[in-house]
Parts: sequence; structure tokens; C-alpha cells
Amino acid sequence: MIEVQHVTKRYGPVTAVDDVSFRVESGQILGFLGPNGAGKTTTMRILTGCTSATDGQALVAGYDVFEDPVEAKRRTGYLPETPPLYPDMTVREYLTFAARINGIKSAARRERVAAAMARTSVEDMADRHCGKLSKGYRQRVGLAQAILHNPDVLILDEPTAGLDPKQIIETRELIKELAGDHTIILSTHILPEVAQTCEQVVIINKGRVVAVDTPGNLTGRLRGSETIRMAIDPLGTDPAPAIEGLAGVASVTAAASDSDSVVLEVQCDEGADVRRELAATVVSSGWGLLELTPLRMSLEDIFLELTTSENPREDDPEPSGGAEPAEAAPEEQVEAADA
Amino acid sequence: MRNILTIAQKELRSYFVSPMAYVAIGFFVFIYGYFFVVSLNFMVRVSMQAGMMGGPQTININEYMMRPLLGNMAVVMLFLLPALTGRSYAEEKRSGTIELLLSSPLTGPQIILGKYFGALALFTLMLAVTLIHVGVLFIYGEPELGPILSGYLGLWLMGGAFISVGLLISSMTKNQTVAVMGAFGTALMLWIVSWIGDPSSGSTTTEVLAYLSILDHFDDFSKGVIDTKHLAYYLSFITFGLFLTARSVDSERWRG
Repeated sequence: MIEVQHVTKRYGPVTAVDDVSFRVESGQILGFLGPNGAGKTTTMRILTGCTSATDGQALVAGYDVFEDPVEAKRRTGYLPETPPLYPDMTVREYLTFAARINGIKSAARRERVAAAMARTSVEDMADRHCGKLSKGYRQRVGLAQAILHNPDVLILDEPTAGLDPKQIIETRELIKELAGDHTIILSTHILPEVAQTCEQVVIINKGRVVAVDTPGNLTGRLRGSETIRMAIDPLGTDPAPAIEGLAGVASVTAAASDSDSVVLEVQCDEGADVRRELAATVVSSGWGLLELTPLRMSLEDIFLELTTSENPREDDPEPSGGAEPAEAAPEEQVEAADA
Repeated sequence: MRNILTIAQKELRSYFVSPMAYVAIGFFVFIYGYFFVVSLNFMVRVSMQAGMMGGPQTININEYMMRPLLGNMAVVMLFLLPALTGRSYAEEKRSGTIELLLSSPLTGPQIILGKYFGALALFTLMLAVTLIHVGVLFIYGEPELGPILSGYLGLWLMGGAFISVGLLISSMTKNQTVAVMGAFGTALMLWIVSWIGDPSSGSTTTEVLAYLSILDHFDDFSKGVIDTKHLAYYLSFITFGLFLTARSVDSERWRG
């Protein structure tokens, strides 16, 4: 169980994390979403004790990370953004070292190391130096280090970054598998990943939580209407008016066109499914139907909507001179928080 | 304790998997050998002159050979030890491996002491290898054991002090070169700090500066005197250095 209450982190005048609160139940996976510099990594570093918070409280597996850091850390596995590998150690040596500092008794060490290597499938690299591993292996050795001591809580900062598609799928499977007996927070900006692996999503922007929900609810909440994209070969005519005339179609915009095809984006009325009518119209007009794709409001869109339509924060300095673009101030802030 | 040992082992190991330990030990022992020969020649010359002038046939090996030799080695340490400790924190911060340590159930002091003892172990090894030369001296001459041991103790304590300075500076930066130069500068300053005062004036400032100087405290050790005053100086120096390192690492948590 992870509980974050009103955690705030300021670096001088810059607020990297602003009054963030959320809760992850035991055995759940929480996805932590946000643009770069939103405060994801800072929040995770606070939870793992790598950095302190200016204000607020955080409980990991029942222990306060500020009051009782050693007990909290004993129950936490952390994979930072860059896997913390010692280049001059072999994978086995590295994991053995990690096991030792995590207080795993020497009798169990070999077995635990082997188990962690097996779970993350890095056994074939066991005797290779960490410095010589490819990005994908580095990431997985980092993950092996995080799960080594079988912690209650796993905090994974972009666990699939730099992996190839097959490894991404494997890693996601592994994370899902781990969920049962571990509570997991993972950060990412790959949105399908959240949809596929997480039970709960926290979207954070400029240090603030802008949404906490399940991926399903989030997509549902913002899916007002559906858009269908279609590519048509209209044989020289303009297909737009005919389609616009159909019942259930709100508007039609031409997205692209070339000599023998026209791409239209058809905005439907809420709840209306006009795919059959669209197809029938095209066919009955004698045109060629090349493509018909429903464009659902994806997590990407939701994400963009939530993280860009936010009002600038009240405590932002007023842009001086008025000529400055409105986005300038928040952007600066994001960059400063990144540093 | 076990945790400190784990970190110390890891540190010591990292010196030995890179050329660092070999270069440091080799360089140190080579220079030691060079000064050994120089001091030996000097002693032989002095003793011959003394003989010709009707003085005692044998002069004190400890006074004319070991003392200047160990004094010279103290200077070599001033150059070498900052290079040894420079990477300690800086490298971990640069590569991000510090997060592994910070997020593990280790306390700050455990990590610091582990790093300290790791570097100290390498330095002890460097000193230990030079005992070969001393052995040679015992085979062909009759030096007194006491002053040699106290001289080595003095060197060891001084090295310990340099290492604690090095660790402190290393904990303040991500850049190894800055750490090495910073530690060297600080150690050098602590070394020459007494020069600014006028020894003949006997003013309090001069005395305080002389007391601070890391080298002045070594002098008695090389003469064969183990004075608790100097022991206290080195031990409190080391403790204070490690304490400041702990503060520096902690403040990093607040700032970074």
C-alpha cells in the first residue's frame, strides 16, 4: 500500500511537486503519467527516499518514508530512470551486491539472485559486465535489482524505456504478474502501456495531479463523440456534401487529398454509429472505399487535453511586457524542474 | 556494521577492477623506493663525513634516513590520496548509481563509513607494501623499530585525514576532476596554513594556524613520539570531515 498525502517539493522558487496526493491499494498497479518535467521522477524519488519533500507525508507499506526511512526502503524496490548499474561489475556480482545491501542473508542470496535473473530473463548475461550491456538488458538488470528482495512496493520509473517491442511486451507481462503480491507505481509517457497494464492512472502536470481514475473511466469520460476517418476514391467528384447529409453526422473535414483519393474526418453525433451508412453511401455512389477507421478518443487525446488545456497557475509570474506568449512561463518552470 | 563492510568491500573492489589501485600502489611504492635510495645515500655520506671528523662511526638511521623519507612520503600522499577519493561520490552521482544506495535500507553514515574504510583500506595496503623496504633496512642495518612504527602510524593518520577531506569534497560535486582538484587544494591549504604566521611573534593567531596545520602534527610521530595531542588532532579531523560529508550528502537530498 502506498499513500501520498499533500506532498510538495520546492527547489528554491520552483515548485516541482505541488500538493500531490494519491493512494495505491495493495496489489494494484498505478500508472503515473505526465509530460517530461511534470514531477513524476521527483515524486518517485521522494517515495524511495532519494530526495526529501518540502511538505506532506508519504507512507510506503505502512511506514512513513520520512520518519522511518530504513523500514520503508526495506520494503521498496526502485528502478530509477537510468538503471543504477556499476559498469565494472558483472550482472551476477551486481545483483549479489544489491542483495547484500538489501539485507538478504548469505544463505538465500544465490537463490534470490538466480530467481530475479530468471524472472527478468537476463541469465544469459549473468557473467557479462554491466557496462557492456545493451540498453534493454541494462533496463532489465535494473528491474531485477528492484524485485530482488521481494519488496511490497515497486517503484518503476519508465521501466520499458529503451526496450524493443518484444521486450516491452515481456516487461509488461512481468509487471502485471508482479502486481498480485506487489504494489506497483510505474511512470511512463507511453499511453497504451497505461491502458494495458494499470488499474489506476494519475495524470500529473506541472507538479499537480490533474486526474486520478481508471484508464477505462478516463477514456469514457472524455469520449464525447466519435470521429471516423475514411479514405475514398470519389472518381473526380466531391464526396463531402453527400456524407454531410447523412443522419448522425455532425461535420466533415477534408484531412488530405491527392489525385485518386480523398481522406475525410467525419465527426459523428454523440452515441451514433454511422459506419454502415457511410459505407453504404460510398458504395451506392459508385466510389471506391479505401479505408474506414473509427478514431476513438485515445488516452493520448485525454492526456493532451488534460495537460494542455489547464489554466496557467495562479502563482505564475505575470508575463512581462505582454508580448511574451502565454505558454512561456509554464514552460520555463518545467525546464527548471527538470534540471 | 555488516552494511559498512559491504560498501567498503565494494569500494575496494572498484579500485582493483580498474587500473586505479595498481597505478596508485605502483606509483607510491616506486616513489618510496626512489626516496629510500636518496635517503640512504644521504645517510651514508653523512655517516662517512662524521667518521672522518672523528665522530661516531654509525649515525642514527631513524633520524637521518627514515624521518626525511617518511616526511617526503607525506608530500606524495598529498598528491595521491585526493586522486583516490575523487571518484568516490562524484562518480556515483554522475552515473546515478547513488540512487541504488540511497533507496536501499542503508543509513547515510553506513554509506559514508563504508566509502571511507574502502579508501582507507587501499591506502593501508599502499603503506603496507612499502614495509618491504623497511624490511631490507632491518636486514642490513639496525634501525630502531619504535620510531618507524610511530612514523607509519603518523602517516596512516595523516592519510586518513586526507581521505576524509577527499570524501567531503567528492560528496559536493558530480565532477571527478573538480573533486580531485578541490580535495588537493583543501589538503594543500591545510598543510601550508601555518606558513602565514610569523613563528617568532608567538601570537595566538600563529599558534592556532600552526595547530591547524596537518603537517606539523606529523613531526612528533616521525621522531618516535606518540603524543595524544596529535592523535586527538587527527582523529577529530577525520571525524569532523566525515561529519561534514554526512551533512553534505543530507543537504543533497534536500536540494536534489
